[in-house]
Amino acid sequence: MVEAIWMMGGLGLVVGVGLAIASKIFYVYVDPKILDVEAALPGANCGGCGLAGCSANAEAIVAGKSAANSCVAAGPEVAQAIAVIMGMSLEAKEPDIALPGCTYGVADADTKFVYDGLSDCRAVALLNGGMKVCTIGCLGLGTCARMCPFGAIVMGPKGLPVVDEKRCTGCGTCERVCPKHIITLSSVTRRILKEYTTEDCTTPCQRACPAGINISAYIGAVAEGDNDRAVQIIKERNPFPTVIGRICPRPCENECRRQYVDEPLAINFLKRYAADQEMAQGKHVQPYKAPESGRRVAVIGGGVEGLSAAFFTARIGHSVTVYEAQEQLGGLLRGAIARYRLPMDILEWDIEGIKEMGVQTETGKLLGRDITVVDLLAQGYQAVFLAVGGWDSRLARTSGKEDALAAPGCHLLIDIAKAGSPGYAPLKLDGHVVIVGSANLSPQMIQRCKELGAQEITLLVREAAGDKHPGPALVRANAGIGRLYGQGNDLEAVELTDLSSGATEKIAARHVIFAAGRVPELVFIPAPAAPAPEGAPAATPVAGAWEALPPYKQPAFHQEIGLMAKGDVLTDFSAAIKAIAAGRRAAASIHRLLYNLALGLPNNVVAPETLVQNVHRVELVPLNRRQLMPLSDDKQVAQGHELEKGFSSAVAKTEAERCLRCGLICYRRELETSTQKMAVTG
Amino acid sequence: MGDLFLFMISCILLNNILLIQYLGNCPFLGTSKRMETATGMAMAVIFVLVLAGVMTWLARKFVLVPYDLVYLQTIVFILVIAALVQFVEMFLKKSIPVLYSGLGIYLPLITTNCAVLGVCLINVQEDYDFLQMLVSSFAYPVGFGLALILFAGVRERILLARVPKPLQDTAIGLVTAGLLSLTFFAFKGMV
Repeated sequence: MVEAIWMMGGLGLVVGVGLAIASKIFYVYVDPKILDVEAALPGANCGGCGLAGCSANAEAIVAGKSAANSCVAAGPEVAQAIAVIMGMSLEAKEPDIALPGCTYGVADADTKFVYDGLSDCRAVALLNGGMKVCTIGCLGLGTCARMCPFGAIVMGPKGLPVVDEKRCTGCGTCERVCPKHIITLSSVTRRILKEYTTEDCTTPCQRACPAGINISAYIGAVAEGDNDRAVQIIKERNPFPTVIGRICPRPCENECRRQYVDEPLAINFLKRYAADQEMAQGKHVQPYKAPESGRRVAVIGGGVEGLSAAFFTARIGHSVTVYEAQEQLGGLLRGAIARYRLPMDILEWDIEGIKEMGVQTETGKLLGRDITVVDLLAQGYQAVFLAVGGWDSRLARTSGKEDALAAPGCHLLIDIAKAGSPGYAPLKLDGHVVIVGSANLSPQMIQRCKELGAQEITLLVREAAGDKHPGPALVRANAGIGRLYGQGNDLEAVELTDLSSGATEKIAARHVIFAAGRVPELVFIPAPAAPAPEGAPAATPVAGAWEALPPYKQPAFHQEIGLMAKGDVLTDFSAAIKAIAAGRRAAASIHRLLYNLALGLPNNVVAPETLVQNVHRVELVPLNRRQLMPLSDDKQVAQGHELEKGFSSAVAKTEAERCLRCGLICYRRELETSTQKMAVTG
Repeated sequence: MGDLFLFMISCILLNNILLIQYLGNCPFLGTSKRMETATGMAMAVIFVLVLAGVMTWLARKFVLVPYDLVYLQTIVFILVIAALVQFVEMFLKKSIPVLYSGLGIYLPLITTNCAVLGVCLINVQEDYDFLQMLVSSFAYPVGFGLALILFAGVRERILLARVPKPLQDTAIGLVTAGLLSLTFFAFKGMV
C-alpha cells in the first residue's frame, strides 16, 4: 500500500517536473497574435480562403500574406475583430454569392441516356460528360448541395440548385466540386469583369449582342410583368436602355432562334418597352453596386463610351468623375441621330440614371485647355481614361475647334497636315516621331514631319510593307505600340511589340502620330516604382511619370496586340451599343490595372469564330407571328412626335411570351408530346 | 528470424488490433472519413507505439517487477504513455518541425488511445523478450494503419453511394467495419 502511494506519487512528480523542464527546453515562440486571430476565425476549416484551414490562414494573416477579411465564411464582425487584433484598416470586401448558371434541369433538357448510377454529378460526368446533350449543363444530382458546408444550396423543383443567399458565404466549395463549372461565385464586380466563355450558358442573341445583355432573362421578366427586374437585368450590361431601345441596329434579332419557326422576336422593342415603363414611373431602377473601394478614376469624354465606362467603374465601387468639353453630356447621340428617332428628353433620362449611380460630371472642361492628364493624376486620380471619340471629336464641338488634342505627345495626322493653317494650332515636332499608319501614307506627310522639326521618323506598319516606301522614314513592318511612357506633359518612350513573335522593346519617342484619324482609347496610370534590386529598399515612384495602355481587346479580336490593332477603330462609333461594350471593357481594364491584375482574355472566350454548341432547328413550337411596332403618320412626325410609338403593355406581353427562353441548346417547347422526353440528338 | 517474421505477420493480419482484437475503435471511426487523415493517424500511431512499447517494457522490467508493484501496471502505463506523448510533441515541435506538422493534430489524440495501451499490455502479458516486444510494437500499429486506410478507402466510396437516411455516416460505418472484420477473420485460416 505504502509502496503504491510512493510509486504513483513519485511517478507523478517525475513526470510533472520532467515535462515542465522539457517545456522550457523545447519552448517554441508562437506569436500570440496568431493564437488570437485563430480564436477569432470560425474554425470551419472550409478552405474558402485558399489555405489549408483556419490556423494556416491565421498564420498568413499575421504574416501579412492574407487580408483581415480573407475569411469568406465569417461575417464583417469577424473581419473587424481581426483588423483590431492586427491594428490595420479594413478595405471593403464585396460578398461573393454562388450563382447557378443553368436554366433547364435534366428533366426538361435533351438527354443522351438515362442515368441510374451513383448519385453524384462527378460520377455521371465521367460517362461521356453526363446524360445531357448540352456539354456544360447542370447534371442535377446535387453534388453542390451536399458539399456546401453551410447548407446554403438545395435542389429546386426543376432539378436545378437554388442558393439561399443569406446562408451562402462565398466559400467557393460548390464552384470547386461542380464538374461542369456551371455554378460560379458571382459579385457585382465579377459580373462586370465577366467576358462570356465556352463554359457559360449563353444564348445566340446574347452572344450576338455587343454588350452581352442577358436577353432571355429580361424578356422573361417582361413576360411575368416585372418591368423593374427587366430594367435591372438590362442595366447589368447597358446603362442606356431607353436610348438603345430606340436606336439599336439589333444584331441580336438576326440570331434569334424563333426565326426557325416564324420571325425573330422584337427584342429591342421589348427593351424599349421595359425602359419606357421605368421612365413613366419617374424613378430610376438601378442594378446592384459594389461597396466603395476608396479609389478615384477620371474619364475624359462624356459620350456614350465615356459615360458607360464611368457607370461601370462606379458600380465596381470606385469614385469616378467624367470631364466633358461640351456643355452637355451625350456626345454623338446629341447630334448624329434624328430627333424623331431619339428625342433629347430620352437621352437626358438615361444620363440622369448614370449620374444617379454615383458618377460625378464636369462639363465645359476641355482636355489640354482646362485639364491635362498629368494634372488629373497629380490630383490623386489613380487612373485616367481617355475616351475622346471614335472620330476627330473637334468636329462635333461648337467652340474650341482650334484646340489640339492634348494627350501628351499624341497627334492626329490632320494636325500635322494643317498645322498653322486657319482653324488649326501651329505645331512643333522634335526628336523621334513615330507614325502609326500604313505603307500607303503619302511621302508628303513624312516631308511635312521633317519640316515641323522631326529629327528621326519611324513609320509603324501592322502588316508587311511591300515595296512601297514613303520618303525618308524608317519603316517598321509587323509592329505595334503596346504602351506609352511619359513624364509630365512629355512623351518619352513607347513600347514596340513585334506582332509575330510578341517580343517587346522600349524605344525613345517624343511624338506619336495616328494616321487613322482618331486617338485610341487609353488608360493612363502613374508609372509604378521600378523593381528594387535584391536587398535594396523599395524605390519610390518618380513624381509625374506615367504610363498609358489600351484596354483589353473585344473578344472578336482578342488575339490582336497593341494600339490601333484590327478592330480597335470599330470599338465605339459604328453603333452606340458597341460603344457601351467598349466602355464596360474600359472599366474592367481600369479595375484590373488598379489592382495589378493582368489584362487580356482567357483563350476559351466566346468570339465570332468560336465553335459553340447550338441548334439550328426548333421543334414543337407553334407559329405565332411577331408584333408590329405602331408608327406615327407624317403629320404626327411633323408635330414632333416620335416615329415609333412603342408597344402597349398587352402587345409587349404577347411579344415577350413568344420568347423561347433559350439556353445554350435548350429552349421552351410548348407542344408536349409523349416522345418528346426522349433524346433528340442532332 | 523466420519465427519473428511469422510473428510479425500474425500481429498485422491474424491478430489485427482493430478488426480482430477490437481495440482503438474510436480513432477507427473518427479519423477514417478521409484518406489523408487516416494516413496521418496511421503514421502517428506507428511512431508513438514503438516508443511507448519500449518505455513501458522498460518501466515494467526495471521498476514494477523489482518493487513488486505489477498490480499498478495499467495506471502506470497510462501515465507513462501520456507523459511520453507530451514530451515527444514538444521535442518534435522544437527539433523536427517538418515531422511535427506532418503528424500534426494526431499526436495528442493518441495520448489515451486504447490501441496504444492495449499493445503495451499485450507485450507484457505475453512475456515477450525485448526483440519480440520491438516487433510487436511495430507490427500491431502497422496492422492498425492497414485496417484504417482500407476502411477510409471504403468510406470514401460509400460517400458516392445512395445510403438510406437512417443509415448514413456512422451507422453505415459500423456496418462496414463489421464486414471488414469478418474478412480479416478469414486470415485465421492461414495457421
